[in-house]
Amino acid sequence: MPAAGRPGGGGRVPAVHGARRRRSARSLLYFVREGIRGFGHNGLASAAAVTITMVTLVALGAATVVASTLDHLARRLESRVEMIVYLRDGLGAGEVAVVRARLTRLPGVTGVTYVSKDDALAAFQQRLGSRVDLSELSHNPLPASLEVAVDDPVRLPAMAAEAGAFPGVEHVSYGAETVNRLLAVTWWVRFLGAIASGGFALVAMIIIVNTIRLTVLARRAEIEVMRLVGATAWFIRWPFVVEGAVTGALAGFVAMILVTGAYAWLARALPFLPLSPQQVALDLVWKVLLWGVVIGIGGSLLAVRRFLSL
Amino acid sequence: MAVPSSPPHGAAMVEFQQVSKVYPNGVQALREVTLRIEPEEFVFVVGPTGTGKSTLTRMIYREELPSSGHVLVEGRDVTRMPHRQVPYLRRRVGVVFQDFKLLQRKTARENIAFALEVTGAPRSEVRRRVGEVLEVVGLAARADAMAGGLSAGEQQRVSIARALVHGPSLLVADEPTGNLDPDTSWEIVQLLSRINLGGTTVIMTSHDKQIVDILRKRVIALDRGTVVRDEARGLYAGGR
Repeated sequence: MPAAGRPGGGGRVPAVHGARRRRSARSLLYFVREGIRGFGHNGLASAAAVTITMVTLVALGAATVVASTLDHLARRLESRVEMIVYLRDGLGAGEVAVVRARLTRLPGVTGVTYVSKDDALAAFQQRLGSRVDLSELSHNPLPASLEVAVDDPVRLPAMAAEAGAFPGVEHVSYGAETVNRLLAVTWWVRFLGAIASGGFALVAMIIIVNTIRLTVLARRAEIEVMRLVGATAWFIRWPFVVEGAVTGALAGFVAMILVTGAYAWLARALPFLPLSPQQVALDLVWKVLLWGVVIGIGGSLLAVRRFLSL
Repeated sequence: MAVPSSPPHGAAMVEFQQVSKVYPNGVQALREVTLRIEPEEFVFVVGPTGTGKSTLTRMIYREELPSSGHVLVEGRDVTRMPHRQVPYLRRRVGVVFQDFKLLQRKTARENIAFALEVTGAPRSEVRRRVGEVLEVVGLAARADAMAGGLSAGEQQRVSIARALVHGPSLLVADEPTGNLDPDTSWEIVQLLSRINLGGTTVIMTSHDKQIVDILRKRVIALDRGTVVRDEARGLYAGGR
């Protein structure tokens, strides 16, 4: 059979390639068309599948955003080579000067700045912006402090311990200590987020399996004919894979809008959040979409598995 | 018309080697069936209902696997064929069913084209091949009617055209006249006979005594899963 038409086949290779490309482009079109048709055909079931997948992805997305916000805060703190020595209320100017002098003498200290209670309140007011008016407070709850600049963050733990023992010092805080606490919280956020989205993902998968099974059942006759006339298993599977991917991508898209929207709203109320809503959207776009599509395709493959085993 | 390529030199078109089939529910459909069908033969497989005729045909296109024994198609052992090669076997073996298995909401032409499209055939080839097989089965005039609106005989013609569209070397028809009245049955059998004359091997199961006796082709008779008779130019019931 292949002998026919072989001679004189000099310039045929590109034509064959072109034909193959056209063929796969047409098959692709067929898969996408059939996949979308299946999605539309299932109406309510598809909507339910998108909704539960979206809930999954919102959980995943929210955990991702919270964790990366905390990460950012932690990193920002870690890079600070300073410690803040909070002073007890009611310290006289002489006592402050003594603490300051002792701090200045510590090795590695490159500068000490005094921040009075009033300065602290003003700075805090500035960070909050105009949304909250701190001048309405009956008394100033913020302590006065000495901001100590250091040449190397490695010295900070020992230095903080020493300074904490000085008379008149209430508490010493420095980046790494806060960072450790933040990182612990970040770990928990990620852990709980993973468990919650894992659980939701399972439910979402089950619902997608059942939704796509509806399409499979509606097309049983067609699938049987396809099998009998020699369509490959993947040719039969692809439309269902597309249907699953469409479900997941749609859910991912909506979830991304919801999470980013919620973040943007929060960011307006809390101006100190380190990430801009644009950064959050960029970070989420691939994670949430990818996970949505993975869940959708996983569900669709599970749904068709039984029908395609010979 | 289809120009089937021949199997490797000397190989049978279909060969059953001591094939037995026991279904999970304990029913024994075939017992030690051994037979050989040569290229370009026309073979009737006859016998009462439930004697394993369908099981036998389904094994040829590997819709069913034997419990023991081997089935060879064009010299290839299909019982040992990996899953992903089965579609390519089915493009070499056209299958016709008693219940036609057409997609009712597609036209005759679309039903036939579907068989080629799902193998990714180029559009120009689909158009050409579908036109050809529509001519062969004599349905060119009804090509654009919905399958659901065709008569039973016409539907069976569409299903035969679909089976032929890949240009198979072998056509397997399981009770193709089972749902048809005698006149229509006769037309379908004549069509299959013509296709056979074009070089395509035809294996047809039937329990229609009249048709088998008129055609005087090779007859393989099954009874309770065993080949009880295999005659060239045979009759339905055997004897002279």
